[in-house]
Amino acid sequence: MKIKILQEIIKKKASKTEFAILTNLNNGDTGIFEKDKKLSKNFENYRVHIENFFKSKKNGVIENTEIFVETYIRPTKVIIVGAVHIAQYLVDFARSLNFEILIIDPRGYFATEQRFPNLKIINKWPDEAFEEIETNENTALIALTHDPKIDDPAIKHALNKNFFYIGALGSKKTHENRCIRLRQTGFNEKQINSIHGPIGIKLGGKSAPEIALSIIAQLVEVTYKK
Amino acid sequence: MKNSFDEKILEEANDWINSNQKVVLATVIQTWGSSPRQVGSRMIVNEKGDFSGSVSGGCVESAVVRECLGLIKDNKPFKKIEFKVSNESAWEVGLACGGEIAVYLEQVK
Repeated sequence: MKIKILQEIIKKKASKTEFAILTNLNNGDTGIFEKDKKLSKNFENYRVHIENFFKSKKNGVIENTEIFVETYIRPTKVIIVGAVHIAQYLVDFARSLNFEILIIDPRGYFATEQRFPNLKIINKWPDEAFEEIETNENTALIALTHDPKIDDPAIKHALNKNFFYIGALGSKKTHENRCIRLRQTGFNEKQINSIHGPIGIKLGGKSAPEIALSIIAQLVEVTYKK
Repeated sequence: MKNSFDEKILEEANDWINSNQKVVLATVIQTWGSSPRQVGSRMIVNEKGDFSGSVSGGCVESAVVRECLGLIKDNKPFKKIEFKVSNESAWEVGLACGGEIAVYLEQVK
């Protein structure tokens, strides 16, 4: 690898630009891939494969070639609606699992710096909050208030933006009612069925950290199925 | 999920180079079976044999250092090496986990 390329890589890392390092294991050639940017001609033939690695956030050797791809992809963004007790444990799990987290809760007495130190908290209603957050199909939503006034607008936004994971806290009954409301506002069955409700995998626990664990376990599972 | 942005091994390689050291990057490029570090894991080695980072759980690092020193000595730009569970004749080291890994070595020039 040339020093020049090493320095370019370090620069891209510092600016959190998403990219991939490409290495030809046969001749030692190195290059950098960036989405929608021109690729040096030594690697251009492999563009489709490189883009697939990039999309699935994978590192490895492209099959039947000698091209090694190492991707640098930003962590998945997880938006938690409801600065409730479960959220406090979720934040700890999500941090050690390298998710990027932020919390939305219009209720000021829940979403305090003291309850959630060093975390981005948006003290607004979801509709307003989402105006200042960039979201896409690489974003996850965890709705925890089980208050339709707060959860529903967030879930609608997540459905419209094709979030890869949408989970909503609440009993089977609460979730059934939620589905009815979403149906009435025009969401189709496929969209509604994509919501994980009741949220989490079945661990059997009832305490706040146990529920947080079941939610984060489901999120990790879905992340790798993506 | 691994966050490659937070790993600082390439930055460290750059610091070493800036202080006039020769640096070889060793990167895990393939794994088979169970192996402790995932593809993309990296260590760096200088001409004195100092190293940072890892490519396994301590099983093959010493052999990687030896190979990197050889690369610098012979002034070769790159090399691919493989470690298997019991490859006594070639490496005298193996992966106790029962896995296999391929490591790509390259000099930064």
